Amino acid sequence: MTLLDIVLQQVINGLSLGAMYSLLALGFTMVYGIIELINFAHFNIFMVGSFIAMFALQFLGLHGQSRLLIGWPLVGALSLGFASTMLATGCLGVVIERVALRPMRNVKGTAAMITTIGVSYILFNIVLLTAGAGAQNYPNPLPQISWHIGGAVLRLREVLLWSVSLVLMAVLHIFVQRTKMGKAMRATAQDQEAARMMGIEVDQIVMLTFFIGSALAGAAGLIFGLYYNNTSFLIGYTAGLRAFTAAVLGGIGNIVGAMMGGLIIGLIEALGGQFLQVRWTDVIIFSILIAVLALRPTGLLGLSTPKKS
Amino acid sequence: MADVTPAPAPDLEAAPPARRAPLTAALLAPVRWMPETARKRVGLALLIAGAVLFPFIVRNAGDIDAAANALAFAILALGLNIVVGFAGLLDLGYAAFFAIGAYIYGMVASTQITPNWADVWQPLQWLGLVSRAHVEGAPDVVHLHFSFWLMLPGAALVAALFGILFGAPTLRLRGDYLAIVTLGFGEIIPIVVRNTPDWTNGPMGLNGVISPQLFGLRFGVTSTPYYYLAALLVALLMFVSYRLKESRIGRAWMAIREDEIAAGAMGINRTRLKLMAFATGAGFAGATGTFYVAKLGTATPDMFQFPVSVMVLVMIVLGGMGSVPGVVLGALTLQLLQSWFLQDLTQWVHALGRLVGSGALQQVELVQTIELIFGIILVLMMLYRREGLIPASRTTASLTLTEQAAMPTRGGIGASLSKIQDVQLPAGTPMLEVRGLTKRFGGITAVKELGLTILPRTVVGLIGPNGSGKTTFFNLVTGLDSPDGGRVFLMGEDVTGLPSHAIVERGIARTFQTLRLFANLTVLENVLVGMHARTRATAVGAVLRPPSVRAEETASREWAMEVLAIFGNRLLPRVNHLASSLSYANRRRLEIARAVASRPRLLLLDEPTAGMNPAETMELAEQIRSLNRMGLTVLLIEHKLNVVNTISDKVAVLDYGEKIAEGTAEEVHRNEDVIRAYLGRTTATRV
Repeated sequence: MTLLDIVLQQVINGLSLGAMYSLLALGFTMVYGIIELINFAHFNIFMVGSFIAMFALQFLGLHGQSRLLIGWPLVGALSLGFASTMLATGCLGVVIERVALRPMRNVKGTAAMITTIGVSYILFNIVLLTAGAGAQNYPNPLPQISWHIGGAVLRLREVLLWSVSLVLMAVLHIFVQRTKMGKAMRATAQDQEAARMMGIEVDQIVMLTFFIGSALAGAAGLIFGLYYNNTSFLIGYTAGLRAFTAAVLGGIGNIVGAMMGGLIIGLIEALGGQFLQVRWTDVIIFSILIAVLALRPTGLLGLSTPKKS
Repeated sequence: MADVTPAPAPDLEAAPPARRAPLTAALLAPVRWMPETARKRVGLALLIAGAVLFPFIVRNAGDIDAAANALAFAILALGLNIVVGFAGLLDLGYAAFFAIGAYIYGMVASTQITPNWADVWQPLQWLGLVSRAHVEGAPDVVHLHFSFWLMLPGAALVAALFGILFGAPTLRLRGDYLAIVTLGFGEIIPIVVRNTPDWTNGPMGLNGVISPQLFGLRFGVTSTPYYYLAALLVALLMFVSYRLKESRIGRAWMAIREDEIAAGAMGINRTRLKLMAFATGAGFAGATGTFYVAKLGTATPDMFQFPVSVMVLVMIVLGGMGSVPGVVLGALTLQLLQSWFLQDLTQWVHALGRLVGSGALQQVELVQTIELIFGIILVLMMLYRREGLIPASRTTASLTLTEQAAMPTRGGIGASLSKIQDVQLPAGTPMLEVRGLTKRFGGITAVKELGLTILPRTVVGLIGPNGSGKTTFFNLVTGLDSPDGGRVFLMGEDVTGLPSHAIVERGIARTFQTLRLFANLTVLENVLVGMHARTRATAVGAVLRPPSVRAEETASREWAMEVLAIFGNRLLPRVNHLASSLSYANRRRLEIARAVASRPRLLLLDEPTAGMNPAETMELAEQIRSLNRMGLTVLLIEHKLNVVNTISDKVAVLDYGEKIAEGTAEEVHRNEDVIRAYLGRTTATRV
């Protein structure tokens, strides 16, 4: 492989990771945009999502390396898998908001954030205690189709992953920008009090935000499983922190920023892992996080964030 | 209302007994006959006796060991409590400092690092910190065996330096961002440790760390000496925490926690105090790290991951953020829960399983559920008892009936304050001179080319329609905002662009239009925070309390009471109440008292009478006038024109950020521009 091929291959890998981080970052950024809360529970909603998706796929008959389904049935099964996972994690997010976070809405300071750490811990340990500490083999139902671009390989799963992420993000973008609910959401992010006075049900909007964010985390969980072919109780923390970095990089509260930030972090991880040492990747990513927060808290991309006092 | 008992006469020496939570009241019932101080002393003596006798009672090495570990975590909790509980800086990477302390000692007290012998090591060998080891067929190498007793403070110091290093980039960040940055550092440290095996032996961990030695006796692996050492350290650091909390430094930390901007405007150097909190907390963790690694003899990067930071956080949340006994209780409870209760419970469940023949029950390992329990504790505490088991803020004594029914007295009028003196400025030097001051927010020019001169010992009223730039002007003068152009001179000295705490030091104090009191501090503490710029006690001084610090504290309290007396019996009976419990008018008064406590030359009052009824308004106007007679120069923003007319020597009018008129109240009222600004253009033309 020439250097160019290696770079191209790592760009392909990076974009795949990035697509996943983008989906995950959207949840952080949307919740922060609406109620200015860093939601640590999001880390493990993602992790729980990957488990739910695994069970859903297994229920649909997709086990281990079996490739029984092909063609449209496979597409149907995967779509059903995505839909059921997103519904389940979306509901999980709503329950968490309703039970643990709504009573905290008007509490000053970091109490709500500490609560989300607690919720995250609970999810993490429930999975650890029930599913065990080992990594779980993930269904791998995709046919082994790949294309060669020079020396680099583009597999079907990457194309699938990109298209799913792209579709989800496009739908989200249209929803937020073009629909009535989306407008209500943007208004709430700008000024909750004013939005309430204009007749917007703020509680509903917050709930909807948690639903969408958590549903996207669920989709990211499924993508994680398909991409790495395994999952474990540990995945939430690392991927979550990287996705959070992505959200910060894009300017937290900014939806387009989160998508861009996710891609950048994915590329850094892939290329950094290739050209520096893998074991230092996290140090690089956290250093970026710290540097951005300390020097330019509005985000590296310089996109405007919702104005907060 | 049949059971109203006659109220005892108010006694200023002994405050009436505080209202307590039902649980505490029930526990205290048997010893109610003892006076409060005696009760405390007896309690303390029992506690110490219990701690000393514990190893003789328990005798089980495993249990003593668990107790020693629990005490080590109590130290961590005390340290994090200073950062999170006192200063309100949420640190999610606290375990990093624990790791730093552990590895610092581990590296200099093991054979991990063995450089070749060189003569530069000679002085250290004389000190007995290193020795020269002969290796067959190779050059001599250095064996490091630094003394534990030297490294205990040494590692604390190094960790404190790292605290400053990690704290520095977070200073300007809001609470939640700060949490993330600290979390980032908390992640980086174990990775660095893991990736530098030459220094740390990487993921395998340090081995063979030397245990402490005292009077020729090595601690080794017996638990009892570690237990006593940890107990001693906990006692010491509890003492340090108490002393800090009840000092100038502790009050400044709590002021930052309650309201950062107001803290700066009261003369607190936020940068320095935040770094001090980080450093102190990190120092506690560094010492614990050294203790812990010496006790275990080994250290691996996994011992210092995020879950440790969360565990310490759970401890202080459970015990009560900001409460010294609370966080110790929280730490001990959780540690003992983990090492005793859950193990015993597991045994019982297994026994039950054998009894009923259930295989599943015999497999249960409850110790593994500890993190699940942590999560549940965090959520439940946050939802139902945010102040923790032992709340930090004391419940306040309610006013007696006599005090409640007392007629308000008008204090302060015609009196004088001992520390407010007339300033002697060279003739012609104004108290405040502002030239060409400009501030833009995006496209809006909030203050435009503003010039204003305030002569010493005058009262100047600043009026203008809402949004005319009055408060922005205050913010520019007091350093909360930096101007885009123009200069501000105080008594002839250029103070433009100085940070707000420096401006308070030079003699400008202010109140806020939207009240910014320190809600969870008492009335007295609020006023004492106002004196921050005029007092000198350092953190070390606060802990050791030499006579100078003691005298300063006494003088501060006397001065605070004197200032509060300006408002007669409005605030004096309530000195130990939380500021959040005051009525609206009393909060305004307290803000003025807090500002006056800083012994300003120039007092900036932003709508001081807002929300007061006409009688209270005129009372306050007189009090402002009397403050002015004592030697203070006053600039006030006020919408109530009768107040402005009564007490101002001069009135300046702002409109759209520009000064449109200046002069005596009468002159200003006749001014056409002013009428237009207030009543609108069309009205004015008709007039």
